[in-house]
Amino acid sequence: MMENEYFFLRNIHKALGLAPDNDRSKEQYPELFAAPDTRKILHRVRNRTAEERNELVELLRTNAQALGIHLHPAESEADAAAIVVEIIRSREPEFSHTKHVILHDHPDVAALQLWKRFTREAVTVHTTFSSDHELREKTIASFIGITAPAIGVAESATVIQLTRPGQPRSTSLVPSIHIALLRRDKLVADLEEAYTLLREEGRLDSMVFISGPSKTADIEAQMVHGAHGPREVHLIILPSSAGPPMAATGD
Amino acid sequence: MKTSSPSTYREAAVAGIDSAQLQKSLQGLQNRFGKGAMELWAGMADQEMRDRVKESRMKTFEHLDIVLAELAKNVRARGGQVHFAVTAQDAVNYTLAVAKKNEVKRVVKGKSMTSMEVDIDPALEQEGIEVVETDLGEYIIQLAGDRPSHIIAPCIHLNRNQIGRLFTDKLGIDFTEDPPTLTMAARKALREKLLTADMGLTGCNLACAETGMISLVSNEGNIRMATTMPRVVVALMGMERVVATMAEHRETLQLLTRGAALQKLSTYVSFLGGPASKDDPDGPREFHLVIIDNGRSRILADPEFREVLACIRCGACLNICPVYGKIGGHAYNSPYCGPIGAVVTPLLDGINKHADLCKGETLCGACKDICPVKNDLPRMLSALRHKLAYGSDRWNTRQHNPAEARAFRVWRLLVTRPFLYRTLIGLGRIVQRPFIGKEGTIRKMAGIAAGWTAGRDLPPVARRTFHQLWKEKYAGNRPTAPTIETPEEK
Ligand code: SF4
Repeated sequence: MMENEYFFLRNIHKALGLAPDNDRSKEQYPELFAAPDTRKILHRVRNRTAEERNELVELLRTNAQALGIHLHPAESEADAAAIVVEIIRSREPEFSHTKHVILHDHPDVAALQLWKRFTREAVTVHTTFSSDHELREKTIASFIGITAPAIGVAESATVIQLTRPGQPRSTSLVPSIHIALLRRDKLVADLEEAYTLLREEGRLDSMVFISGPSKTADIEAQMVHGAHGPREVHLIILPSSAGPPMAATGD
Repeated sequence: MKTSSPSTYREAAVAGIDSAQLQKSLQGLQNRFGKGAMELWAGMADQEMRDRVKESRMKTFEHLDIVLAELAKNVRARGGQVHFAVTAQDAVNYTLAVAKKNEVKRVVKGKSMTSMEVDIDPALEQEGIEVVETDLGEYIIQLAGDRPSHIIAPCIHLNRNQIGRLFTDKLGIDFTEDPPTLTMAARKALREKLLTADMGLTGCNLACAETGMISLVSNEGNIRMATTMPRVVVALMGMERVVATMAEHRETLQLLTRGAALQKLSTYVSFLGGPASKDDPDGPREFHLVIIDNGRSRILADPEFREVLACIRCGACLNICPVYGKIGGHAYNSPYCGPIGAVVTPLLDGINKHADLCKGETLCGACKDICPVKNDLPRMLSALRHKLAYGSDRWNTRQHNPAEARAFRVWRLLVTRPFLYRTLIGLGRIVQRPFIGKEGTIRKMAGIAAGWTAGRDLPPVARRTFHQLWKEKYAGNRPTAPTIETPEEK
């Protein structure tokens, strides 16, 4: 143990009225790091009926609206692709004059087949393959970033983006517009359910919870979107991954 | 601790009260967030959550040695580096060494009160390193060469006109008072800095020992930028800013974002604990966590004040405090202002040095009611006053005002001797005569008593005392208590 660490912890021992060279360990206090019993929650999350999932989407819709997130339910991949294409066509780049779009290396994003959807206009599409050494430059050049978050949380209209090979953190951060694709079965009710699923993920490099576009109210408490992160966030709800798409409801 | 302004509590408070802009902003802030938080707590389905979080905070402190060792172990397992800094100077030296080793030219900061507490900017700047605040409010403060006046809304004391002129002056844009346009100007200027900085310097809202990750909340995204784009990330963390498990993390985080801005979650919550993996194109190559004591172990050791470490720096107590709501943040002359600042600043930086802070608060109890972890700030403010009145060896505190203490000793002497007391009251009646104004009050006193009447009038000593009135009216015909017959008496 380094010297300052030793002195640091010794001061804490003293403060707590323990012998200075105390070497008590976490094994002596099992309740300190006791893991919660999450079986019930997991069971609930994994066995939601189609109807319950629809309710979650409705809850998400209400909360997303309050945060200024554009929510788009999509009935198929083709439907999702059309929504994305429309966004790319109708928006103008903020920091350059050319339209670059950067995509996470994820099957749901690849399924949009964006590379072949722009024949008449100049849109360059990049994917964040981990072998690409120019990703930083491409990300900075892009005005839209498209990702497929691992989890969505209805209660707070949050998407949870895990950092993985081919899915770097800057894609949902540096471009002016973030489009997130979320499968219905990745949507959970609240943070407790989300944390339970995260525990199942094992060790993660880094992650971020995103609830809406970047915002600030630092000047006279007036809300402005687009402080440092994306000024616009779109959340596209895709059908569940397993089995046939859910019957469309009021979407 | 950085306490740069030479102005005293009183002067800064008067300046705050005199500023129409500040009064307007503070009122808006308190109306919205103060009231909002109280309503939110009242309507919360899970009424036990706040007590639960407080309990888990206190339990963590009892085992802080174990929890911090576990945190350090898990951060190191992720490839991060952990430094334990006993003093502020130690934290500064370490950070500076990291910056020099990595040939850092530009540092981007995410709003961090701890970095202000250890006062790191001058040390970096002295080495020729550019330091840029990236939170919009903090950036404005930095451009203006000013000091923040609220934990969450640092430039609440400036209006759009002042900010517009500042931006014209410093960023060279055409003058505008439009907040969106001003924000976009800052966005552009700061994007450049954020994308080209070598080092990100942040605080830490909550570290989780079990996972070895720190988490940082922001609405703007500056902290995400500062922890994603630079090669090196250094996070400065007060040693109490830790939870043991993710389960505790979740509840504490939810209280933090609700207390701070009535949000279920802030826009971004970033989790990181080490350098980026090899195939990750962004994220830091080096990650350093600096765990700082700087006086906290002394607070931990004192059962009277340990509770204050449970604070999650949400700023809610500022949004309800009637004193902060009038005088604003500058009067506290500390990175930590409002009721929490009035307790924690003296404890970290000297009770005598910051004697005005605990005396300025009213002990109304609003801060305790609004605090997500129900910190009993009024009790601790009283305890601080006690230390000032009697002195304290443990806190190296000397009696703050020996003259006042003497005066009270004389007072005790007087009130326990009726003859002396009445004689002096009689004398007072005569002495006061020239001071009584037309309104029948004393508006101005002389000598050391002048301070008493500087901001208020004093009622004169009454012509006859209550005691005398009582004697005249009731003595002799004192009403006898009705006798009640009780069974035993029969
Ligand atoms: S004392 Fe309580 S209300 Fe005040 S900042 Fe700390 S946690 Fe928030």
